[in-house]
Amino acid sequence: MKSVKIILVASLLLLVFNFCTQDAEIDKQEPQIDLTIEGAFPQNCDTLYFGESFKLKMLFSDNVELGSFSIDVHHNFDHHSHSTEVSQCDFLPEKDPVNPFSLIDDYKIENGLQKYETDELITIPSGNENGPFDDGDYHFFVRLTDKEGWSVRKGLSIKIFHR
Amino acid sequence: MSKFIMLLLCMNAIYGLSFAQKKYELKGKVIDENNQALAGTYVMLYPIEKGSVVDKTGSFLIKDVEEGTYKIEISFIGYQTVTDSISIPEDQPYNAALKKSFLNLQEIVVTDNYAERRKREESLNTEIVNERYLRQNLGGSLMKSLERLPGVTTIDIGSGQSKPVIRGLAFNRVVVAENGIKHEAQQWGADHGLEMDQFAISDVEIIKGPASILYGSDAIGGVINIKHRKLPADNSIAGTVNLSGKTNNDYLGTSVSLFGRRKWFFADFRVTLLDYGDYKVPADSVDIYSYRAAIHKNHLRNTAGGEKNLHFSFGIVKTAFQSRFYLSNVSSKSGFFANAHGLEPRNVDTNLHDKSARDINYPYQQVNHFKLINRSRYQWDKVSLETDLGFQRNFRQEWSKYVSHGYMPAIFPGTLNFDPDLERQFEKFVYSGNVRLSYHANEKTHFIIGASGDLQDNKIGGRGFIIPAYKQWSFGSYAFSKHTFSEKSIIQMGIRYDHGTIHTNEYSDWFTSPVIINTDTTFHYLKRAGNISRSFSNFSWSVGYNYNQERWSFKTNVGKSFRIPIAKELAANGVNYHNFSYEVGNPDLSPETSWQFDAGVEFNAPKFAVETTPFLNYFPNYIFLNPSSEHDRLYGNGNQVFYYTQSKVLRLGAEIHAHYEILNALQLGVIGEFVYSEQLSGEKKGFTLPFSPPASAIFNIKYKKPKMYFLENPYLTVDFRITAAQKNIVPPEKTTNGYHVINIGLGGDVKLQNQKVNISLQVQNLTNNKYFNHTSYYRLINVPEPGRNIIANISIPFSGKMNKK
Repeated sequence: MKSVKIILVASLLLLVFNFCTQDAEIDKQEPQIDLTIEGAFPQNCDTLYFGESFKLKMLFSDNVELGSFSIDVHHNFDHHSHSTEVSQCDFLPEKDPVNPFSLIDDYKIENGLQKYETDELITIPSGNENGPFDDGDYHFFVRLTDKEGWSVRKGLSIKIFHR
Repeated sequence: MSKFIMLLLCMNAIYGLSFAQKKYELKGKVIDENNQALAGTYVMLYPIEKGSVVDKTGSFLIKDVEEGTYKIEISFIGYQTVTDSISIPEDQPYNAALKKSFLNLQEIVVTDNYAERRKREESLNTEIVNERYLRQNLGGSLMKSLERLPGVTTIDIGSGQSKPVIRGLAFNRVVVAENGIKHEAQQWGADHGLEMDQFAISDVEIIKGPASILYGSDAIGGVINIKHRKLPADNSIAGTVNLSGKTNNDYLGTSVSLFGRRKWFFADFRVTLLDYGDYKVPADSVDIYSYRAAIHKNHLRNTAGGEKNLHFSFGIVKTAFQSRFYLSNVSSKSGFFANAHGLEPRNVDTNLHDKSARDINYPYQQVNHFKLINRSRYQWDKVSLETDLGFQRNFRQEWSKYVSHGYMPAIFPGTLNFDPDLERQFEKFVYSGNVRLSYHANEKTHFIIGASGDLQDNKIGGRGFIIPAYKQWSFGSYAFSKHTFSEKSIIQMGIRYDHGTIHTNEYSDWFTSPVIINTDTTFHYLKRAGNISRSFSNFSWSVGYNYNQERWSFKTNVGKSFRIPIAKELAANGVNYHNFSYEVGNPDLSPETSWQFDAGVEFNAPKFAVETTPFLNYFPNYIFLNPSSEHDRLYGNGNQVFYYTQSKVLRLGAEIHAHYEILNALQLGVIGEFVYSEQLSGEKKGFTLPFSPPASAIFNIKYKKPKMYFLENPYLTVDFRITAAQKNIVPPEKTTNGYHVINIGLGGDVKLQNQKVNISLQVQNLTNNKYFNHTSYYRLINVPEPGRNIIANISIPFSGKMNKK
């Protein structure tokens, strides 16, 4: 009976070590959103304008392959959202929304890229059928994934005004 | 000639019948190694389950025993149980001498040998603890109090809510059963705790490994079986007042019970009230992504909470019939960390939140769980019939300030029938029943056949959609047999068939979203779920073998178990704002099956005991929520898409548990656990499974004596817990560093008149170490574990006798 036990334990240990040491090559790194490149836009606390377009300038990178990204802009008149960034921005006084602007979009990134500098032109209309959009504090949210499904997020506090 | 044979046969039959009616008495004596009478020893005859207790002179008497062969079991605390085969009337009288028992691996000295016997007879690996253990290891919730056991870990949400994890499996892969009825709630959510009152529990049995035969679908990872075995003594009225306090979250709790019995009628009443403030972490800020959120006086903002629980049970107990009703209502309210809702950083009104550490502001969760259970047992000579009937209602609400996520309107319309701040609401009604027929064919063979069924009705509410409303019913039946070849060797096997059906209801958003076709944008109420109907059937089986020698015991078990996909896995189609994930169900999923091999080796000597329990587990189609590389604008509101998929998964691991008695009063112990999981196919091939606990070990020193000054059973224990780093992760997890923590426990009983007042003290995280728990719900936003916590628990029993009329 003792030998049975020894064989059992030994074979289990062997199995364990076998699995632990065979460290299969899997990607365990998240992609990155770089806002330190020259001309990166928008930055935390930046201002955008209704009725105008701007170029999204961010550097995305991953150790293996990038996946896709999305942008989400929504009002922060009640200051519910906090940016994910170190710097703090000054908020305008809290207010109730009347006709706030919102934008959601998803974007594909070409297959096989490890680096991608965004060059998307984003237009912010000045209003809709309910009238002009509300001025004030907005939250600009960027989500990025890599091919394996690792993700990274940046939430920026911005302001959007009518010029 | 034939007439003569007939006559002989008839005479023989009559002789047999008259003989069968003759009853005998079994008398005997039980002594210890020093020839002293062992008063209080239990003597039981199986399979008739007739018993008696040894008196002061060491004698016992069991009346009305028919002729035959029986298994006799003689047990007393601290002594080796004697089991023998006896024939009546030949082996009359029966005398036995009990030897002192070996050191066992119970974490606590149990009041009878129930735990040890169960472990030796069960082919799956089990841990059994009683209420004393729970008091000595009192944590913020039942699971936290059980976390020290080998193979048991938790997923924590704040200081008062924890989910069970057995060998790395959790959620709907672990069954929690209370009084025979499967506890049904919203188990799928990582931020949903377990609605159990740990003060109302007398025994917890943890089965590590697949136990589908007796528990059906979901028992793929294991079972936490909560029992109320206690029966008040005849003609008595008694109770306990339990008081507890914790310094870390300024917790105050009390649980008061009152129970009594008059002949065959008994009743038991309990009320538990808990209230706690925000818990403290050894840090002055928390890094939510790159943003550093300052926290006030180490208090993790808005993690206060409370519980109000009521229990009432009553029943009748007769020799051949027992029936008991359990009525309970467990109600809790607890806050979520205010600087983040799920994974999203939030602005905090510090004036509001830091005003008091005890108030609960948004966001918070409120859960009410009502249960009514009846357990009945009819006992005949060799046959017993048990029935469990249960009704449960689980009502959960999650509240947070209305925020127009995605395409929700910025201004909440006044025409809707729910509060804008009600984020999610789930209401579940469950009707369940079990029948078990047990037949002791002879002293060696024991059969059980049984059936169980349940019906579920689930409703949803609130502004956020994640799962649809659904109805579900399931039915299962099984046969199980246990055969004892000799005293040492037991084989058990079982087979079970299950059938289940699930119907989901259609759901459309309460707000419109812009659908873009070519360049035209039109606004639609998006349909999130359709009417899905699925049926599932499955066979599961298991075979186990136990071999128990004096000092060695071996067990092995092989089995197949399964799980019916839950509504969320089949029909989720919404954004889980707690996790930034757009979760998409798959209506074509097949029932998850699991093959598992379990083994266990235990060695007990007078001064040394060791046990190891390895397992190997394979899932051909593990249901996994796969984070894809996609984002979705319309249905997912720009969030990353998570798809439910199935992949092959291999898991293996082991627990080790050893004690060494250096001196009579001083004992060293080690408890270790390890799990490895790997996905063998699918998009995450090579990755582990989410919430995989890292390897860990507890080194323990325990000092205990029967008496010291005025203290009875005093103990002092020091636990040094080392947890390895978890580098084996799957998106969106983060690697977590290893850590070590020191916990201290001390206590004992103080005799006040005739009552023993039990006192237990603990110091958790003695050095106020800052560390992260890989399986904490808040791990992804870098919230450290609670700092130093001093816990006190006092249990004061009281009792009185009723007048005998």
